[in-house]
Parts: sequence; C-alpha cells; structure tokens
Amino acid sequence: MTTKELIDKLGLEPLSKFEHREVNGVFISDMLSDVMTGAQTGNLWLTIQTQKHIVPAANLVDVAAILVTGGKEVPQDTIDLASRFNIAILSSKLPTFELVGKLYALGLGGK
Amino acid sequence: MRTIKEALDATVIEGEDVLDSAVDHVYASDLMSDVLAFGKPDSILLTGLATQQAVISAHMAEFKGIVFVRGKTIKDGSRKFAKDHRLILMSTELDMYDACVRVEAVRTGGGNHPPETVHEDRSADVLLQHEYSIEGSDFGSAGMLSTEVKSMLKTIGFDPKLVRRVGISTYEGEMNVVMHAKRAKVFLTITPALIEVVIDDEGKGIPDVNLAMEKGFSTATEEQRAMGFGAGMGLPNIKHNTDEMELTSEVGKGTKLKMRFYI
Repeated sequence: MTTKELIDKLGLEPLSKFEHREVNGVFISDMLSDVMTGAQTGNLWLTIQTQKHIVPAANLVDVAAILVTGGKEVPQDTIDLASRFNIAILSSKLPTFELVGKLYALGLGGK
Repeated sequence: MRTIKEALDATVIEGEDVLDSAVDHVYASDLMSDVLAFGKPDSILLTGLATQQAVISAHMAEFKGIVFVRGKTIKDGSRKFAKDHRLILMSTELDMYDACVRVEAVRTGGGNHPPETVHEDRSADVLLQHEYSIEGSDFGSAGMLSTEVKSMLKTIGFDPKLVRRVGISTYEGEMNVVMHAKRAKVFLTITPALIEVVIDDEGKGIPDVNLAMEKGFSTATEEQRAMGFGAGMGLPNIKHNTDEMELTSEVGKGTKLKMRFYI
C-alpha cells in the first residue's frame, strides 16, 4: 500500500511536501529511542509527538511517513524541516486506537 | 595525466590546465566503496560510473582525476564540483578492458615515475575525517548532526544498512549530549576498514556506567520525557547498533563515547 492510498482511504491530511512511497507496516510509539530500535524502513509511524526532532528520527529510521494522531497540531517549523528532507507528515483527527483498527482492517501488519 | 590522455585518445572534460601533473597509481572500478576502501591518493580512477557519486568519491579518496570509459560523459553539476576541487575529468571511447591494457602499456613502457601496483595493508589509513560540535539543551537542532552524517555516508555510497546503523547510533549519542551535557565535540573518521564516531562531551558525567547501560535506566527530566526522550533505551540501542562501543566517564568532567562500525 502507498502513502497516497492511505491518505485517500483514511482521509488523512498531508502537512509536508514529500513523494509518495510504499508503506510496509505500522509502528506506534511516542518514545524516540523506541522508534529508533523498533521501527523498520518503510513503516508508517503513528505518534502524538510533534516537535522538530521527530523529523531527523524519521529520516534516520527511513520510515515511509509520520502520522500524527488525535488531531494534534504540528508546529510550522516541524513541517518546514520535514519538507526540506522530503519526509511525509500526515495528520488525522482520529485517536491512535481507532486508526490502528482501520489500518489493521486495510491489511497492514506490524513490522 | 597527459600521457594517459594520449594513450587513451581521451577527451578532457575538466582540468586541461592541470594535465601535466603526475599520477602515482591507477585504480579501475565501478564500485565507489571499493575506491574509498582501496584507492591510493594521487591515483587516477578508470570507471564506467559517470555520476556525481564517482566524482565525490574520487575527491574523498584524494585522486588526481577520473577517466570515464565507454564514452560516458557527466552532468554540469559534477563538472563544477571537479573544477572546484581540481579534479581532472576525461572521457574515452575505449571500454574498461582496453583502457586498462593501454594504461598498463604506458606503465611498462618506461617513464621516470612508473606507477606501481600496491598491495599493502591500508586498514590504518584515514580516508576522511570530520569534526562537528553539539550544544547541550539545544533541542531545536537536535538530530541535525546525525542527519548530516547520514547524508554524507549515503552520498559516498556506503551500504544503506551500515548507514542506518551509524545514523541511529549517532542520533542517540547526540541526544544524550543535548539532554545531559553542556557541549560536545564529535569526531567522524573513515578508514578502509571502519567508520568511527567519537562523541566527547563536557558535562556532569555518568557516576555508574554499568547502570546507565541497563535497559530502562534513565535520568531524564519530566520535560524531556514529554518530548519523547528518556526511555532508557539510548545506550542499549547504541550497543545493539555498533560493532564496538566504548563508554568512559568522569563525574563532573564529561563522558566519551566511542563507536565503531565495520565496513
């Protein structure tokens, strides 16, 4: 599944500039080290963290996209930095739990 | 270089003015990690890879120039890079085998300084060295150093899995400085055998290094935890991603983290 299909199917809002790519699984965490340890290249990363440092983390782990859940507002400097590194930041008003249910129903597995 | 140009019927793309410089060795390869690992300074590179990566790698390995075989040419951006770094770029219609044969004929045909084939152990040679600095508490730039290191290693052409390991470990080390120390110097060294990142900080130090290495142990503040740090996973994560890790600390002075990754 691609980031484009996910955006269409779940009504996500893309916040940064990026190129669409394949999503191969989902990883959820709000702890950076956890993401560094557990997330795999190409994963969709669900988090409520919105500060700038999520961008280098996403870039280093090479996740397919960051999905900020619960409609949490993402600061502009985070969005700008993400656009600079071609990192997708998507947003959804739904809480993490509901999104997980929908992602699972779409056939996306864990890492 | 001029002798080689003539032997190969090559066209000069960049560096006509420095064509009379001497070349010590010849290296033929299309794999840039091999060039970085085994190329000798002041060599000329024969390659079929006409990309920016080849030009950057030749510069990093301190080559005199590149001959692109099979009539390949290169984009303007790379020409400018070569010009700025005084690299000679040439192109020959010959294929790799014929080009090597002709250069070899030049070598055996005499000359005052014939190039030599080198088979020495170069594992201690430094190919690239960079120094960076990190400021403590600077959460705004946190993660940018490791991102820069990652981009550079990626550009050079290292294996993506290796680049990921170096990037993640450097990020964790960088974050430890941002959270706990005043400032740090970071030394990146690349040799043919390994990539080394040393993060040497000034700060409060770690009273019990063994305890700090335990999964879940953390001294982060509530505020830092709210930003997603302080899971107590940073050092164990570094341990997991490095081939060698050495952590030494002196309370009241600072901490030195040495990380090595085998190529």
